[in-house]
Amino acid sequence: MAERIVIDPLTRIEGHLKIEVEVENGVVTDAWCAGTMARGWEVLLRDRDPRDAPYVCSRVCSVCEGVHAIASSQALDEAFGIDIPEAGRLMRNLFCAGLYMHDHFIHFYVLSALDYLDIMAVAQYSGSDAGLLAVKDKIVGLVNKNDTAPFTPRYALDEYCVNDPETVTTLVSHYIKAVEMKAKSQKMLAIIMGIQPTANTVMPGGCTATPTAQQLSEFRTLWQEQVDFVNNYYLPDVLAVGTGPLLPLALNGLGMGFTNYLCYPMFPQNDPGSATDRSFGGSNHLIGGGVLIDDPTGSVQAVDYKMISEDIKYTWGNYPAGTTSLHPSAGVTEFNPRKQDAYSFVKAPRYNGTTMEVGPLARGLVNKYPVLMDLVAQGAKPGVVARHLCRALESKTVGEAGLAWIDRLTELATAGPIVGMKDSAVPGSAKGMGAWDAPRGALAHWVDIEDGRIKNYQLVVPSTWNQSPRDSNGVRGQTEQSLIGAPVPDVNNPINLVRIIRSYDPCLACAIHLIDPETNDIKVFKVG
Amino acid sequence: MNTDLLRPTSITRRDFVKISGAALAILGLSQALKPRVVKALETSAGKTAVIWLEGQDCAGCTESFLNSLEPSAASILLNTISLRYHETAMAASGYQAEQALEDTINEGGYLLVIEGSIPMAEDGLYCTIGGKPFKDIVKECARNAAAIVPVGACATYGGIPRSGPTQAVGYLYDGTRKHGYFDDVTGNKPVINLPTCPLHPERLVAVIVHYLTFSSIPPLDNFNRPIAFYGKLQHDNCERRGHFDAGRFMADWGDSSQKDWCLYLKGCRGPWAHQDCWSRLWNGRTNYCIRANAPCVACSEPEFYEAFSPLYKRQFDVNFPGVGRISIDKIMATVAGVAAAGVGGSIILDKVIERKEAKESKKEDK
Repeated sequence: MAERIVIDPLTRIEGHLKIEVEVENGVVTDAWCAGTMARGWEVLLRDRDPRDAPYVCSRVCSVCEGVHAIASSQALDEAFGIDIPEAGRLMRNLFCAGLYMHDHFIHFYVLSALDYLDIMAVAQYSGSDAGLLAVKDKIVGLVNKNDTAPFTPRYALDEYCVNDPETVTTLVSHYIKAVEMKAKSQKMLAIIMGIQPTANTVMPGGCTATPTAQQLSEFRTLWQEQVDFVNNYYLPDVLAVGTGPLLPLALNGLGMGFTNYLCYPMFPQNDPGSATDRSFGGSNHLIGGGVLIDDPTGSVQAVDYKMISEDIKYTWGNYPAGTTSLHPSAGVTEFNPRKQDAYSFVKAPRYNGTTMEVGPLARGLVNKYPVLMDLVAQGAKPGVVARHLCRALESKTVGEAGLAWIDRLTELATAGPIVGMKDSAVPGSAKGMGAWDAPRGALAHWVDIEDGRIKNYQLVVPSTWNQSPRDSNGVRGQTEQSLIGAPVPDVNNPINLVRIIRSYDPCLACAIHLIDPETNDIKVFKVG
Repeated sequence: MNTDLLRPTSITRRDFVKISGAALAILGLSQALKPRVVKALETSAGKTAVIWLEGQDCAGCTESFLNSLEPSAASILLNTISLRYHETAMAASGYQAEQALEDTINEGGYLLVIEGSIPMAEDGLYCTIGGKPFKDIVKECARNAAAIVPVGACATYGGIPRSGPTQAVGYLYDGTRKHGYFDDVTGNKPVINLPTCPLHPERLVAVIVHYLTFSSIPPLDNFNRPIAFYGKLQHDNCERRGHFDAGRFMADWGDSSQKDWCLYLKGCRGPWAHQDCWSRLWNGRTNYCIRANAPCVACSEPEFYEAFSPLYKRQFDVNFPGVGRISIDKIMATVAGVAAAGVGGSIILDKVIERKEAKESKKEDK
């Protein structure tokens, strides 16, 4: 007889997520993924001045805030007919690259590591490093006062948990350092973004900030510190843990799911070229877009944005009669919490009808990150561990590329006040699309303007792709699929499930959801 | 656990001194009080228990809290507060998370921090955690709290979600209106609103330390905001005020000859905004919106966002949901009324607006 596990709230993610799985003979046989919070962002943007969209969209989720502001501004850039100035392009790139670095290492140390560490091993540390001894004192002190929140309570440990005292104590000290480095990253980004998180300076036309050469010099010093942290702490830790204690998980591809991948181009390194040599804010993108179907190491196809559709067969929403799938440019957001058979508010985005994975692993496979491809060539299957690896690898890539952008921006600032904006009036009627890969994956905004106001605004966000429900063909979403077959030896301790789900770094606020009032009450049972 | 491992930590003492110094500076209190604050922090029986709830949120206030540098977020977590429930930070999931929350509620006497708005439509089903409507969770947690601190625009007054279809409200307020939904559990408990989008971390740290030291809360204005942080107007203190007075208004972001001019024509709501961003700055005293050439959107105000949209358009009339279009004179009278009631430091706003109109028509003639 199958047993059911419900994890709600699924913590250490952004937003509210509920996971329900069926377990038979210690293995997951079916899975359902649902968010439990809705705000109606697309609805509240209707009839507004289009220029409000980047500000409002950056509050969809303050974790990927910068990327939402950029994608929204790109959609408006297209609708307004603006090619943004070089300084605007550079500042948007830096904003997003800085965000990538801290978002990724916070995901590893703060949101994920607690699933892999026996934090109490710190008490056994017997070395002489003063910094590590201080960490030990602190943790032991808390344990003795019986006050170890927020590190406890937690799921019980299994054979994949790291319990070597020196390794654990080192990683805990890096956890503390990561929190400090994240605050410093946001201090750095505030130099060009005003405040962090949720900046107000990215707008249609570019970026309003006018940093001086002196401010950029300070910015560069702080940037170098971030790059050093990525290169000297984050990447080595991920490599050490991923090729050490977690190697069995890397080899068996825990949490692999379907092997279809999608990512969008980002970090344009040049201004837009000819009519054909341009997409989303410029050309020659540092990390390219592409599609892989049913083959992680196959040949990469170009993204055809017309192939994107959203299905609502199992979504608490309505489309016009007879329609089950719509392109986002003509998308509809209308709640129907009483809809038969639906089990999630999330729409089900599909590419040419296929479930896709988006995020670091998709970018890594499409762009063929060397370390990743080596490991895959040696037999590792892309899954939970590969997602962590790709985040660390691309943090290094964007961090180092950022130094050249800062230098170019400094040249511009030395020549005279920086102009990062091209001002433009709001058009009467126009359409636009903006796309950029957020840390969690492919993100696109579509805007339809009529009489100078927003007629329709649609977002298709990474967590909608990764945490989608089934589609009209009954095919599961990627997170659901990647839970199938996961080992759960003890249904009271489903630690593998949270590892898989957190490896996507779900960010549910922007995937907007609604819980079914009909079934809500019968799903209150917890674990077991 | 081997108790021999427990030793006195000099680090802790230094952190207390650092935290107390920072908190006093933030609140504008004398550093002479420092020994008292250090003592309060050191001798409190244990760390103060904190429940941090996230409703219709974007995690922006959490992110912002983690940006605290002086003192660092890590030192606050390790030394000052015992964070019992926080969905984004805690190790526990599912049943364990629910249990941690229940245990803390039964203990009582904790600080309840609320992030994100509270949806009232469909009996609260637009946000549920562990199968329960968020509004019911708020009620349960507020009942045994020692004090309640809604943070950010959403939890205080409804914020941006208030413009959506879910009847999103703050803990005490729906915009400027007190809705009374939680009055039975609030009783006489202090409620300290810390708006702005997102929360400014220094304001929260200072409130926590003040509470630990003096067992009281700092003086509040009519909208439950500490006067120390929300008592002055952006416009009265703006670094671009000289340009405003001289009639130099930026009309084109792409024209570098207009650099640093007043952003009023770009929609700046500085004349409405009660905050201290202009002196406190953000991210460790680095910068803030206006200095980065972006207009203030008055995210400190109960009317934000609905009344201030469109954000980047100069606007004299505003639309209040359920009330309709109201002329700028009436709005100004309201703001001035709040000022007279104790916020203080306001200028004569209607005159300012007249002058803006004059300057702007001149600009458009050109």
